Amino acid sequence: MGPAVMVLGLGLLAVLLSAQSLTARIEGGSLLGAILSPSGMGELVVHFSWLPRLLVSWLCGAALGLAGVLMQQVLRNPLASPTTLGVSAGAHLALVAATLAVPGLAGLGREAVALAGSGVAAALVFSLAWNKGLAPLAVVLAGLVVSLYFGALGAALVLFNQSYLAGLFIWGAGALSQQDWSVVLRLGPLVVASGVAAALMVRPLALLDLDEAGARGLGVPLVGLRLAALAVSVVLAAAVVSAVGVVGFVGLAAPALATLAGARTFGARLVWGPLIGAVLLWFADQLVQVLAGLYGDLVPTGALTALFGSPLLLWLLPRLKRDVRPPRMAAPVREPRARHPVGALIAMVAALGVLVLPALLLSHDAAGWSLDLSGALLEWRWPRVLAALAAGALLAMAGTITQRVTGNPMASPEVLGLTSGAALALIVVVMALPGADRATEIAAGAAGAFLTTVGLLWLTRRAAFAPDSILLAGIALGALFDALVVAVTASGDPRAVTLLAWLAGSTARVGSSEALTGLVAVVALGAAAVPFARWLDLLPLGAVTAGAVGVDVKRARLLLLVLTALMTATATLIVGPLTFVGLLAPHLARLAGFPRALPHLLAAALVGALVMVGADLLGRTLIYPRQIPTGLLATLIGAPYLLWRLRRL
Amino acid sequence: MVSAAMEGFALDGVGFAAEGRTLLHEVSLTLAPGRVVGVVGHNGSGKSTLLKLLARQQAPSAGALRLDGRDLSSWSSRAFARMVAYLPQTPPSAGALKVRELVACGRYPWHGALGRRTARDRDAVEAALQLADVGAFADRLVETLSGGERQRVWLAMLVAQEARYLLLDEPIAALDVAHQVEVMALARQLGHARGLGVAVVLHDVNIAARYCDELVALRGGRLLKRGAPADVVTAEGLADIYGIPMAVMPHPDGGWPVSFVR
Repeated sequence: MGPAVMVLGLGLLAVLLSAQSLTARIEGGSLLGAILSPSGMGELVVHFSWLPRLLVSWLCGAALGLAGVLMQQVLRNPLASPTTLGVSAGAHLALVAATLAVPGLAGLGREAVALAGSGVAAALVFSLAWNKGLAPLAVVLAGLVVSLYFGALGAALVLFNQSYLAGLFIWGAGALSQQDWSVVLRLGPLVVASGVAAALMVRPLALLDLDEAGARGLGVPLVGLRLAALAVSVVLAAAVVSAVGVVGFVGLAAPALATLAGARTFGARLVWGPLIGAVLLWFADQLVQVLAGLYGDLVPTGALTALFGSPLLLWLLPRLKRDVRPPRMAAPVREPRARHPVGALIAMVAALGVLVLPALLLSHDAAGWSLDLSGALLEWRWPRVLAALAAGALLAMAGTITQRVTGNPMASPEVLGLTSGAALALIVVVMALPGADRATEIAAGAAGAFLTTVGLLWLTRRAAFAPDSILLAGIALGALFDALVVAVTASGDPRAVTLLAWLAGSTARVGSSEALTGLVAVVALGAAAVPFARWLDLLPLGAVTAGAVGVDVKRARLLLLVLTALMTATATLIVGPLTFVGLLAPHLARLAGFPRALPHLLAAALVGALVMVGADLLGRTLIYPRQIPTGLLATLIGAPYLLWRLRRL
Repeated sequence: MVSAAMEGFALDGVGFAAEGRTLLHEVSLTLAPGRVVGVVGHNGSGKSTLLKLLARQQAPSAGALRLDGRDLSSWSSRAFARMVAYLPQTPPSAGALKVRELVACGRYPWHGALGRRTARDRDAVEAALQLADVGAFADRLVETLSGGERQRVWLAMLVAQEARYLLLDEPIAALDVAHQVEVMALARQLGHARGLGVAVVLHDVNIAARYCDELVALRGGRLLKRGAPADVVTAEGLADIYGIPMAVMPHPDGGWPVSFVR
């Protein structure tokens, strides 16, 4: 199936759906009349709502597809998407903050505020990666940190001001409905201009398929080119996000679908990526309008896009050729190495020991701050401290393994999709069995994570669990489940709030048995990881070299993936998904000078534990009597440190 | 014990096709230990493909490929790596590994994922560092070395692997002439003193004639000729291989053939 067939197929479905939604709205009028001189209710509705919405879905889909193709080409990473540089997190934070500060803002300056937030986030990312020449790894790391940091700030604000912010949920999932032509008129010229700009850059950008030295040798001005291409995609993403909200999946899936459908060269991807994005969003949005007639206007288009894009991606995945992608560009930075690794590890253990004391003993209540030495509160405190420690260590180790096996710095345990699988199972139980006890919830979550892992392994078995297949399959599964979760939470069901707290990573509800389970898991799974350390040293050298020295690469990947799944599932079920720890603790440990697998694993586990115990302590005391979810606070305290390290790199 | 007749690689009508294009046609030959075999041929003649098949990096699409009488696919990963070491044409980036650490990776087939690193492993790494003449920068990061130095570090990793067969894909392409000679002398020493079977893909026919016991010439994916350097490096032979007129004269020092373009 070529990309043209895919576009035509999806386009045909979209046309049929559009015809149906059009006849339902136009009430006997004519389309031509509605376009030129609308008269009568039906034609007016079509002119001011249906038509602009149609065009907005084309424009947004094309814009995101284009931005995604550019982003993936510059960052040399199939996980890169238009929102990688923190654009949507920045917009969300700005909207949340503005809505809280000026409640009347809702309708008026929304777009301007979102645009400003996106701009601030992207500018921050550019400034952080600037002195590394905008090298892919530096941009990706800075983007991830800024994204997570702004996301956590936004989520914290939402969590404490739920009642004011209900409408933002729908925006957060992407809603395309229109009342006039203003968005079309603003997006249209922008998309066209960006397309022209991208077309002008097509030759130098295509040369990025060579390695860095090769591209530079051919006279490509790397820094200028990266800046220009990233700027174009940031502008596109920011425009879309501010106009219709987060439709993140299209930007990631459209380039991947184009590649899988056979767009081999960058030029072909640049043409087909936006087209596929446009028809995908068109189809999803028309389906939303048909469904809206049945279920009310609450299904967000963004969520539905993932619902249909993911299976398409999974279906095409076996076509992903192994090793067709050029070797990734070498790390842009010389990684530091600790001069005394053992000493540094011991210092980290000591720091953890010191931190655990206030975590257990320090109190902040109506009477102010106090150290409780009687031990009366210990009974309630130790489970959550232990759970924080265990979850932090587990997810940091899982992240380290994932990044080493896939050789991808953007990989985290979450991209394997099982966190989303657990969340979906959890919400099904919360909805279907109201009043289910915690044990049932945990069992459901475990089942969800388990089934997702089995699905992931089944989908990628033929590709010998090759990194890019695993990542794409995990992303597609995760997006699929996330879409279902978003569809449920966006409906405003009060039970969804429980889930929201869990999704933010909370230690507040942890009991002693779960904490002990976590401890056992850290010891057992951590010990299970030790024998794999040599694989983890060899696999980053590539499948050829690892295979040549006798590693059964397929089996090694399988066992390591299963281990990662076990670690992630355990930690996630105890305290919820902790994006920051799983994604960035491994980077923190590397930047602290632990490049070899075993010290890297240990250091990452310690960093994860330190960040989580610290976050638990602060989350409990900082704004007493309220609590900040540990996972959020972990990001809020960990991200600035990582930003500082990135600057010094 | 493997009988002497079975020992070594045996290719029987081996072919390889990818995406509808046949890269190697019905190649039949044997490779025995204790000899250095040079693989020569024009670009795209299937030299690297042949080496990849021998290294089990790719499975043949036709024919039978055996090592010591056993089909290649029946070997376990580690047992195979104890027998065969392979250096790809472009070695990957070594990340943040130091030279000694990378060379120690070659010991994996012996200690495996769980086995203890013994004094034997350490000795093998040290010996490999000395043999490949990279001991002087054993504690530097691989990525900070020059291209030639890096090439020798990868070679040291293969030496540390202590396999019975070495498969080297253009190991001297990035080296100056002094290091070319050094690497080829090392390959020859490993072949003759340690009794390893060495297969080297080479572009330089003169280097091949000087250091190899035997040459295998490929053209268009077919085995063209196989024999002692003096039999393969002849004016007619080279014209067959490369398709341009060449001439050969005996080297003044040892009489091995030296070719030049006419």
